[in-house]
This record gives sequence, C-alpha cells and structure tokens, in this order.
Amino acid sequence: MQERRPLSDVQINKALLRNVLAAPLWFWGLVLLLALVVAAGAGAAGWMFNRGTGVLGVNRPAMWGFLIVNFVFWIGISHAGVMLSAILRLAYAEWRRPMVRAAEVLTVFSLMTAMLMPFIHSGRPWRLAYWAFPYDFARGIFPNIRSALIWDPSAVFTYLISSSLFILVTLLPDIAVIRDRTTGIRHKIYSAMALGWRGTPRQWRLQGIAGILLSAIILPIFVSVHSIVSWDFGMAVSVEGWHATIFAPYFVIGAVLSGVSAVVTLMALMRWLFKWEDHIREEHFDAMGRLLVVIATAWFYFFAMEFMFGLFTLEPQEVALRQLQVFEWPWSALFIIFILTAYFIPVPLWLFRSVRRNVAAMFWISIMVNIGMWLERFIIIVPGLLRKQPFTFVWGSYRPSPIEIIIVAATFCLVALGILLFSKVFPLVPLAEAKEGQILADQIKVGKKTIPAVMREE
Amino acid sequence: MHEPRDGRHAITETLPETPQEVTEKVLHNHLATGPLFRVAAVFCGVLLLLGVVGFILRVAGGFDDRTKWGYYGAIFFYILTTAQAAPIVSVAMRMAKNHWRRPLARAAELYAIVGVLNLLIFIPLLFVLPSAAGRRSLWLDGAARMNAGGSGWPPLAPHLWIALMLAGLVFLGLALLYTAALPDLATVRDHSTSKRHSMLRRLTLGWRGTPFQWRAHRAALGVLGGLYFMFYISTHSFIAIDYGVALVPGWKDSIFPAFQVLSSLQSALAITLVTMFFLRQTGGYKEFFYVDPFWALSKILLATTILWFYFWWASFFTFWYGRTQAEQNVLQLLMFGPYRPLFILAFLFSFLLPFLLLIWNAVRKSILGPTVAAALVLAGNFFDRLRVYVASFSVEDIRAHQLESVPAAHLPDGADILIILGALGGLVLFYLVGTRLVPVLSMWELKEYLTLRRIRPFLKTHVRVMAKPE
Repeated sequence: MQERRPLSDVQINKALLRNVLAAPLWFWGLVLLLALVVAAGAGAAGWMFNRGTGVLGVNRPAMWGFLIVNFVFWIGISHAGVMLSAILRLAYAEWRRPMVRAAEVLTVFSLMTAMLMPFIHSGRPWRLAYWAFPYDFARGIFPNIRSALIWDPSAVFTYLISSSLFILVTLLPDIAVIRDRTTGIRHKIYSAMALGWRGTPRQWRLQGIAGILLSAIILPIFVSVHSIVSWDFGMAVSVEGWHATIFAPYFVIGAVLSGVSAVVTLMALMRWLFKWEDHIREEHFDAMGRLLVVIATAWFYFFAMEFMFGLFTLEPQEVALRQLQVFEWPWSALFIIFILTAYFIPVPLWLFRSVRRNVAAMFWISIMVNIGMWLERFIIIVPGLLRKQPFTFVWGSYRPSPIEIIIVAATFCLVALGILLFSKVFPLVPLAEAKEGQILADQIKVGKKTIPAVMREE
Repeated sequence: MHEPRDGRHAITETLPETPQEVTEKVLHNHLATGPLFRVAAVFCGVLLLLGVVGFILRVAGGFDDRTKWGYYGAIFFYILTTAQAAPIVSVAMRMAKNHWRRPLARAAELYAIVGVLNLLIFIPLLFVLPSAAGRRSLWLDGAARMNAGGSGWPPLAPHLWIALMLAGLVFLGLALLYTAALPDLATVRDHSTSKRHSMLRRLTLGWRGTPFQWRAHRAALGVLGGLYFMFYISTHSFIAIDYGVALVPGWKDSIFPAFQVLSSLQSALAITLVTMFFLRQTGGYKEFFYVDPFWALSKILLATTILWFYFWWASFFTFWYGRTQAEQNVLQLLMFGPYRPLFILAFLFSFLLPFLLLIWNAVRKSILGPTVAAALVLAGNFFDRLRVYVASFSVEDIRAHQLESVPAAHLPDGADILIILGALGGLVLFYLVGTRLVPVLSMWELKEYLTLRRIRPFLKTHVRVMAKPE
C-alpha cells in the first residue's frame, strides 16, 4: 500500500507483541467487565434451563425468536474470516495484511457463539447427544438426516475445524517469534505450539502452500455453511416467504456484508486500543469501504429479487406476509430501520473517500450495518412464522423476554471477550505479513514524481 | 521478445519494451487487412444472409404461435449473454484496476458493436411477448388486474420498458467503447492520411492528450462503467424474467435472474478468452496476449463455473426438496422431461467439463487450456439458452395457476437453423467490422502499464514492481 511508514522488524515486533508480552491495566479491566456480562448471560441461560423454555418470549405460532435470529447473525459474522483471508490471499490483495488474523479469529469465536444459540434455544442442551446417537437405542431410531437442521451442525463444525486449522497454520511463524521472547512455562508452551518452526526456506514454502490450499478448501465450506443455514428456512414449504430458491446465495452475501462490516469495527477498535496506527491505516479503511460498496450492492440486488419474487405470484398469503413486514406496526418501523441502516445510509456514505478514510465514521457505519443485518434476520424469521398457516388459530405476536435479551447481549460480550483473550496470547496482526509487506514495498520514479510501488514475484 | 527473458524466469510477460513499439505494432496490424480477414468476413456475411432468409420465413408464419419463436428467442438470449455481455469484463477489471486486463480490455469492449445486431434481433420478440394483462408478471399491475383485463404498469409494460433497457445497454456499451478508444483513435488519426484522417479528426473531438483531457477521460470512463454495470444487471434480470420465468406457470424461481446474470458473466469471460486466442494466433498480436491474461481470466472463469453449479443447485434443490406438484412439473419441463438432453449437455459444458479442466493450475497457466475450457462454456451456454427459452416459449396456457402438463419437446425447423447460423455469422461479422474501425488493443492502457512497471532484481531472481499512483 502507498502510505506505509518504513518500519524495522524490531519495531514491528515491539508494537504488535506489546499486548502479548505485557498487557496494560485497562486490558484486564475490560476483560472483567465483559466477563461479568457473559456471566449474566450464562446465569440467564441457566435460569431458563431450570425453569423451562416458558421463560422465553417464543410461543405459538412463532416458536423461533431472538436466539435463532442471533444464531443466524453470528454465523453471518463468521463469514468475515474466510472472505477476507482466503479470497484476498488468493487474489494477492496487498491491503489484506493487517486484518486477516483478526478476521479469522472473529470467525472462530462467532462460530462458537453461534452454536451456543440453538443449544440454549432447545432448552435441554444435554440432549445434544441425540445429534449423533439414536433417540432410541433399542429400536435404532436416528435423527432425520433428511432434515436441514441435522446438516447444519455438520457444516458449522467442519467450518470451525477448518478455520481453526487455518489460523494455526498462519500463526506458526508468529508463535515462534513469541517463543523466542518468553521464558519459563510460557516458553515451553509456545515451543510446543510452534512445532519446531525455525523459518527455514522449506518451512516457509510449506507454510505458504498450506495457506493457499486451506484457502481454496475453506471457500466451498464457507459457502456451504450459510447455504445450509438458509435451508433451515428455505426447505420449509409451509412457511410463507421462506421457500425461495434465492435464499442460499442471499444469505451468503448477507453474511459477507455483516462479516466484513464487523471486521471494520474490529479494525477500528484494534487501532484505537492497541495504538496500531502504523499498521492499520486509513488506506485500509478506504479499501474496506470500497469492498463494502460492492458487497452491499450485491446484497441489495439479492434482497430486491427475493422481495420482488415474493410478490410475483400475488398469492394472498404471500402478500399478507409482505404487508405485515412492511406496513404493520412494529414490523414496519423495524423494516425501515433495517433497510436504511443496512444499505441506504451506509452505501451513499461509503461513496465518499473522506468518509472511507475517517476511522470513527467507518466504525459507526459498520456498527449501523450490523444493526440492520440483525434486523434483517429478525424480519425474515419471525413474521414468516406469524403467518405460516392459512388458518392460524393463534394470531399472537412475538415479544422477546428479558432472558432472551440478556443472552443475546451476552453473546456480543462473549465474542469480544474471546478476541480480547486471544490478543493476550497471540498477536492480532500477523507479524510475518507485516514484515513481508515492508519487504515488498518499493518506489518508482515516473517523470519528476516518485510513486509508491509494490513488488510482485509471481 | 516472444519468449521470457533470460534470468527472468518468474516473469512471463512478452510485451514490447517501449510505448513507441506498442504504437508501431498495434497500428501496423490495425491498418492492414489480410486475406484471412476477408475470407472470414465473406463467410460470415453469407451466413448472415441465410439468417435473413430464415427470419423472413419465420415472420411469414406470424407472431401468434409463440412456440415457433422459441429458437429465435434462444439465439437472442445467447448473443445477449455472450457477445453483448463481453464489455462487462472490461468494465469490471478496469474498476478493479487489474493490470493484466490491459491487453484484453478492448477485445472485450469491442463486442459492444454486436449489441446493435442483437437490438435488431430483439424487435420481433416484442410482438411475441404477450401482454401482462391477466398473467403473472414482474410488472405487478398486469397480474393484479387478472379479472379486470387491464394493462400493465407502468404504461406499456413490459414491452416498452424492456426495449428501453436493452436500447440503453446497447447505447452505453457503444459510448463506453468510444470513450475508451478515444486516445487510440487520436493515435490512428495522427498516423493516417486522407479520408481516414479527416473522419477521425471529427470523431476524436480534438483530443490532444492534455492533462485536463486525461482527467475528463478517466472520469467519463468511471461514470460510464458504473452506468453500464447497473444497466447490465437490471436488463439481464428483467428480460430473463419476462421471457423465461413469467411464461411458465408455477415457476417461482427468485434465483433465476441472478443465474442469468452469472451465466452471462461466465460466457462473457469465455468469449473474451476465445477472442484473445484468435487474436494471438491469427491477428498478429502474439506478444500482447501472453500467458498472464489467460491465466488470470481462467481463474475467474473457474470461479464463475463453480458459481454456475451453486446457483443451479440452489434452485434445483429447493424445488426438488419442496416436492409440490408445481415445482415437480417445472423441473420436468426444464431439466428431466422433454429437454433432458439439452440439460445434460448444458450441465456438462457449462460446469462439469470446464471445472475438471480449470481446477489444474497447469491448465490455467497456459494458452490452450483456458481457451478450450472457454469454448466448452460457450457451447454449454448455447444449450442452456435453448433449454430455458425454447421450453418457456413452448408453454401455451401461461395464465394457469401452475403448469398442468409438460409440453412435448419443440424441435427446430429449417428456418430456426438458418436463423441460428445467421445470428452467429452476424455476431462474428459485426465484430470483424469493429476491429477495422477501432484498434483491437487498448494502446493507451498498455503504454500506461509500461510507464508504471519496472523489472528489478530481487535476491536470485527478477520481479515486477508496479507503481500505485492512486
């Protein structure tokens, strides 16, 4: 990139390992605060296990509420990691360097958090065993493998394993650097994790190949995960608005939009908290902003197609659902907030270079997008269930209970806590990438001007 | 010059060393017309004439029987999704600021000229498309007034509006081509005499390459590219719905417009690759079309090929799993019934065979490999257009709630075959004529590249260093 300040390897190590080697006081204060909220969420979940799912707001006909919405939301956020890391790595995008690790870590923690949601929602998480074992050993009755609800954990866990492996492979050189700067038990642990990394040419070559291979392998998994999540809904013929052929790519592109926005949020926080202005620069926000314009517009296209085809047949039930989503209180207000915050406010703002290069503006806009994307899932899931039958005998609405609200709030703190603790153990900006970026930076003289340049060996 | 330079094994680039050499070599090819060109032009001209005969025969049969226009509609959609879509390759790669686009940008956007032919082909299809009144249509009012028998909304929908969209797409394509070629036309002007010189003097609007002109040029390309992109997506989506989905009762397939856009993107890449191959082999541009553009384009072709499967699967799987009678009948019509052979061919050529070829880097990183895969994709898209549009046009009762019975396969007659041959001949002929009007290589972009690129030693090898002025 063009605005890179020349930094030595020592300066890079010092800045990026500051938190790993000696975390400041505020760090532990923040950890404590987040842990308290997570504990409150765990308490709320425990209360629900004890008292039963009656303490949740879900009831007939809407049996899926905040927790399932939150599940889809966090699965969506998890798409940031692969999108940025694998695709930009395969495309040799130079500006990917400072944010790939944070994106990958965000993937792992949001996946873990997402998977908590259906288990909590079930009210009986100990029955988790039935996902793998027969309901009834004597008669050998297994879970229905023809149900998308069974495919879901398979896809998500595959994604979780492959993403973790991906992080581990890219972490190896950095772990070795930390190993060489620690003593005692920490040194021993990092030595074990570094798998004998010495930075020989062969090791670098293998690490590079592994990174590229894993990128290519993870991409189909990444697409399959949210496709299958979409089929949790799309395979249901009986729920109006869900049985749409576009759901799989629509969910995937929506996930990418919310995930990449979440990475922007994370980038801003990393820049502010860890004072990494030399590494996470305005030009990186600029590049992310441009990428988000493309992703958001693609998402809007899929949204428009989904909505238009909902009205295409003009079937009374489908029209009633759209009317509920768009014109009836409180869904109408939520719909307006959703469409404004997910597209119509952020995209025009991102068109301005000054906005894209304003870290605070990008931070708040990225949060705004994710408010919109959370509401999008809410508006898809709950109104669909409220209108799922032509002769619904209960016309009640859905109102989240305090238990659900606390659990959902706690999930945000859980992901933040996970990333924060990770940053105490490993650097959130890859050292190797930062150093390689320095090596590949160059300058070219064209006429009287000296222009920043980048070296490409392939 | 044509082979990688000694000691620079990592760099496969074979471009001329200086901007002057670029001008000389491109102009030399552009200003000369070889015998092969003349033979190809005459052959395509004859095919086009045969197509006109076929068209007259088809018009003589009237517009009432939509089934008979199925192949005509399919060939229109084939050109729309291949040649007419090709400029999007140039637009998208220019937006992404890829350097490898520079040799192929003009070859792709030159296909905008074929849009004029396709616009002419489209006109009769306006008479084939039934009124929106009383049937399902994206132009909502038509269906809403099912019993009242009213007309669509906005007025004259869908006919007027899709015609305007298509005309807009053609116009924007030509505007984009003209704007992008302006500096090169000025170069040709300065190297030609007499009639050509005076014509180009008027066309180039006094282009001298001043800093202001370059700034305006860059801004115009950005605006036109953005507009073209929006028209491209919306035109493909709407026209595919009106001539495909809306004509088959029960076919509620929200991914189909996106599938059509994706198919067109895949075929646009494919036709660009095939064109590059011909320009390299027969056009005298071997050193400009070296392996890098083929390699880079084939990666995107692989991605779109995989996405083709993904989009198809998302549609098929939802219908298959849904198990409703309406969905099963649509699957029968489009995939497993009378048009099953076409579906199998489309699946093989649009996805399976190119996928199996392109997953290998050795194939991608060659000249022939991507070209063969691209040719397969072009064939696959042809079968796919026939499958979708011949089937859609063959449904008689388009006002039913769902497809009650699957119509028998409609086979092409003599007129259909003449029309298909003529349209393909016309496609190539229009492109050939275009190469005589505008240089087929974007000289100014290549020269800009040479200015921004350096080759420098690095450790034991040489590397390419690219300046990033923005």
